[in-house]
Amino acid sequence: MNTTYLDVLVRRMIGFAGVLFILSLMIFVLARVVPGDPARIALGPSATQAQVEAMRQEMGLDQPVIVQYADYLTGALQGDFGRSLISGKPVMPEIMALLPATLELVLVTLLIMIAVSVPLGVVTARYRNTWIDNTGRFFSIVGVTMPSFLFAILLQLVAANFIADWPLLGRVSHTLDLPPGPTGLLLVDSLLHGRGDVFVSALKHILFPALALAMAGIGQVTRITRSAMIEHQRRDHVLTLKSFGVPDRVIIFRYLLKLSSIAPLTIMGLEFASLIGNAFVVELVFSWGGFASYGLEAILQKDLNAVMAVVLVSGFFFIVANLVIDVALLVIDPRLRFKEAR
Amino acid sequence: MSLAAAPEPQTLTTRYMAWYRFTRNPAAVIGGLMVVSVVLAAVFAPLIAPYPDHVGAVVDFRNRHAPPSAEHWFGTDKVGRDILTRVVFGFRVSLLLVIGVLGVAVPVGAALGLLAGYFSGLVERIITGFTNVMLAIPPLVMALAIGNVLEPNLVNAMLAITLLWWTWHARLVYRVSKSIAMEDYIEAARLAGASHWHVLTREILPNCVSVISVKTTLDAAFVILFGATLSFLGLGVKPPTPDLGSMVADGRQFLPEMWWGVLAPGFAIFYATLGFNLLGDGLRDMFDVEA
Amino acid sequence: MVQPLLDIAGLNVAFHTYGYRAHVLKDVSLTIPEGGRVALIGETGSGKSVTAKTILGTLPANAAVESGAVRFAGRDVLTLPEAERDAMKGTAFSIIMQDPLSSFNPVFRIGRHLDDVMRFADRRLGRASKEQERTRQIHAVLRKVQLSDPERICRAYPAQLSGGMRQRVLIALALLHQPRLLIADEPGTALDVTTQDEIMKLINRLVAENGLSLLMITHNLGVVRQMADDIYVMRHGEIVEHGALRTLFTAPRQDYTRQLVEAIPPLYGPQVTDQPPVATPPIVELAGVWKTFRERRLIGRGSAHDAVRDVSLSIRQGEIFGLAGESGSGKTTVARMIMGLIGPSAGTISVAGTALAGTVRSEAFRRLTQIVYQNPGTSLNPKRTVGQTLSVPLTFSGLERARHGERITRLLRQVDLAPHYVSKYPHELSGGQKQRVAIARALAANPKIIVLDEPTSALDVSVQKNVIALLQRLRDELGLTYLFISHDLSLMRNFCSRIAIMLKGEIVEEGEPKSVFAAPEHPYTRALIAAVPVMAEEEERMKPSVSLEERRRFLVDAVA
Repeated sequence: MNTTYLDVLVRRMIGFAGVLFILSLMIFVLARVVPGDPARIALGPSATQAQVEAMRQEMGLDQPVIVQYADYLTGALQGDFGRSLISGKPVMPEIMALLPATLELVLVTLLIMIAVSVPLGVVTARYRNTWIDNTGRFFSIVGVTMPSFLFAILLQLVAANFIADWPLLGRVSHTLDLPPGPTGLLLVDSLLHGRGDVFVSALKHILFPALALAMAGIGQVTRITRSAMIEHQRRDHVLTLKSFGVPDRVIIFRYLLKLSSIAPLTIMGLEFASLIGNAFVVELVFSWGGFASYGLEAILQKDLNAVMAVVLVSGFFFIVANLVIDVALLVIDPRLRFKEAR
Repeated sequence: MSLAAAPEPQTLTTRYMAWYRFTRNPAAVIGGLMVVSVVLAAVFAPLIAPYPDHVGAVVDFRNRHAPPSAEHWFGTDKVGRDILTRVVFGFRVSLLLVIGVLGVAVPVGAALGLLAGYFSGLVERIITGFTNVMLAIPPLVMALAIGNVLEPNLVNAMLAITLLWWTWHARLVYRVSKSIAMEDYIEAARLAGASHWHVLTREILPNCVSVISVKTTLDAAFVILFGATLSFLGLGVKPPTPDLGSMVADGRQFLPEMWWGVLAPGFAIFYATLGFNLLGDGLRDMFDVEA
Repeated sequence: MVQPLLDIAGLNVAFHTYGYRAHVLKDVSLTIPEGGRVALIGETGSGKSVTAKTILGTLPANAAVESGAVRFAGRDVLTLPEAERDAMKGTAFSIIMQDPLSSFNPVFRIGRHLDDVMRFADRRLGRASKEQERTRQIHAVLRKVQLSDPERICRAYPAQLSGGMRQRVLIALALLHQPRLLIADEPGTALDVTTQDEIMKLINRLVAENGLSLLMITHNLGVVRQMADDIYVMRHGEIVEHGALRTLFTAPRQDYTRQLVEAIPPLYGPQVTDQPPVATPPIVELAGVWKTFRERRLIGRGSAHDAVRDVSLSIRQGEIFGLAGESGSGKTTVARMIMGLIGPSAGTISVAGTALAGTVRSEAFRRLTQIVYQNPGTSLNPKRTVGQTLSVPLTFSGLERARHGERITRLLRQVDLAPHYVSKYPHELSGGQKQRVAIARALAANPKIIVLDEPTSALDVSVQKNVIALLQRLRDELGLTYLFISHDLSLMRNFCSRIAIMLKGEIVEEGEPKSVFAAPEHPYTRALIAAVPVMAEEEERMKPSVSLEERRRFLVDAVA
């Protein structure tokens, strides 16, 4: 059994490494076909031609493209994505500093997503075609179809007009001094240092952005959980248990729920990609100041090195998320283990 | 309740059952009507819009930031243009985007998926491998990166979205055609001497049509959403073209006072995406496929 | 009069789908005396499973019991409060489910299913049982159904067990609480003959040992003879005939029952047909053919599996060559190699005088062998009309379009279908009609050899008989050669001019059916023939005898 897990995992890892490699190649090629000279962007319009030439040499742009790519890849593997063309600072430390903010947002979002959508999916499937189901389905379809930015703005409008003293922007109140490390996640750090005030403030700040970000996923996951539950309800194995009088609640919450978690889990991997995308929007609306804000800024300013790093780092997180999901699926679904082993 | 006696089960045609399911599904019918209204508004925009000339770079400062009224149902924007007019024309841009993106992405994706599903071996491995790489890229991030390289305008937004979108169709059609390719009737056709072209276009493709059409309908919603998000972030269609996403971005600067500047275009997007989604859902139930 | 254990009286059940009402049970009445063995037989869609579901209370939501009563020991279960009715499940009556593959939740261990059924039944009976106690009882019941390693069974996931083992677990599930009535819904139908035979013997023994009553639901008349004393014949939701086993089989009153009885091919006795042997040159020859499937793994060693081992055979022109064997015996792999769909790993194959090298074959050559598949549901493209399907071989053999219509009409006539079927879609056809179209498609390519891959096993017996007759006629008229793959030995006895028995990739016996059935040499052949359910006591006596040890040895589905 152990070699099966290992076999599957190694296969996946190799596949994902390939994906990352090709992704880096694509983004590199893309960056090289950009009209406009990176050295010129870095130096600004007032620099002389000689200065630009010197800069080109320093950045390695006079080398053959293959060599440039090899250099880039070697650097990237060591976490060195070069310097920002705008600020001149190394890209990676800046990203690392901003990553916890986005990570915290994404984790809270996932938590909300699962906490809301799984029960909602189960309940709507159980009370299929009743008003409960119709309401639940309406909410999930709204979640799927409403643009994140509209939902974010609506939440802000609600907060501004109806909730007194509710924070609209940022991660935490300015007046508080923040606990140092170790994780960079404010909700965790504040608890580690026993700072209730910071925790409450951070929680208030994160609630609406996370809700706005979770909305699309909630809709999607509810929908898929519901249809998986319904699909499995008409299978023979449910009939087996029913024929022997196993109560409905046990059939639903034990037997069907586990089986029906496979489908939503599978799409969670892809859902994660749109989550990263929507983080750009939500961070913008709530001035979150995380990795996505940095990425958006880099893109708008055509800071190529930073853009490349942002794409690769997002790709990396997407892949890690999918690896975690693959392992979870292996644990839940024994059929996958046998199939790969056979 | 008096019901007609059931005919023999085989005479209940699939078409009858599909139509029955569709008409018993009010959400699907409503979705269909919403889609029709959006399409009609887009096609006849110049006739419907109250101030057709407000589409361009018109400035009317006396009327700027006017709240909704009898003259301006959805109010006016920061330079005094009628928001209703711009929303109606905004549907045009959205639908153009949908047609441009799906018109290329669906055939390309479907063709690649079909090939990968039917031919096993190298063709399958190359196409699925490439599709998997493309799917590993967060689409919005990639579209932003491409949009950044190129000038932000409608055509380039289309291009950026299309470059990513075909993969979804390739994946779906691959899955469906792979299972169909294993059916006995495909082998029988090959044994009867049928060419690969015949098998692909006459035997497998017809079985994928319902899945593709459901997915395309649902996708229309997501393309609109995606395009709006791009332009909201400042990387899609640029003013003065009336694009719903950039109208929301424009209006956001004047929140919370001038709420109509955001809500009107925002809910217009929502209306269109909701319509396509309800319709697509209804079609999915109707054809009884997974898309 | 003694009160019967189960008394169904005037039961009417209807389904509501797509705005129509389908009356699926019409005035059904049936009684099972205490300790009685009753069979309910009928073809697909006759309403026999709906009857079982009505008794159990597991009808789908769109079904309605419109009138009638189901009295169990005098109490009408249809009017009982739900809690009381639930309390009867598994304790008063139990069901042995039909399809063992889908009867368990694939992501839970077998033990979990058994324990939950036991726990909640105990709770309804007001017993608080300890887990250890339950495990002990479950293991005891598993041993009773001849699963000798209950711990391994309980730990296994459904996919890790063979079909026969799962079927045994399903029987154990029904016996956990000593019900008074056992309802068996086509048990073992999806399994191989030898396994099915074992399962039937097991059920019979358990019923006898524990003094249970049995309601056996089946379409297999051979099974009925072993399993029931009293028979109800069902058709289109109605009970058309009822009687004791002997009288019903020997002197059926209704035409329908007679048809059913007569449609069963005899295994022994005067009614058996002998196909005349053929003395023509061989058209297919296999010499020392092997086929090995390899599986690659990244870590650890991949496994290799010999699907076909050292098979040599020759099929003569105009012959009906039967290849018999149970699932996984390699018979389909042999057929696919003859058709050139896969290449052999070793050995030579020649068809119509041409040696096949790998899978590379010209289109014209490909048309030499055609196939009729087992499942009529998947052998026709649902999106294409009969005419479109039939025109494919015509187009690609170069027949000009203008002459397609005429040729298609002729093909349809050859398979006894009216010309207007040309515009029908598969979903408008019955299983038998689909199979006829599939035969017409095979004929359209003007083949010399047709592979018949269990062409009738998915059809009802009455339809089966007609399709076989059609195939026979076509062979005689067109001089075709058939490779007939099947596990139905009684059918092969009457239909084939020569048969070969396959076991684990090897041919263990070959010869004319007459001599093979009269004096089977290989013990596996004997075990196989002995397991075939037959219609008459005389036939049963003429079967070869097999020792218990032999039966066990060749049971593909070994008992754990």
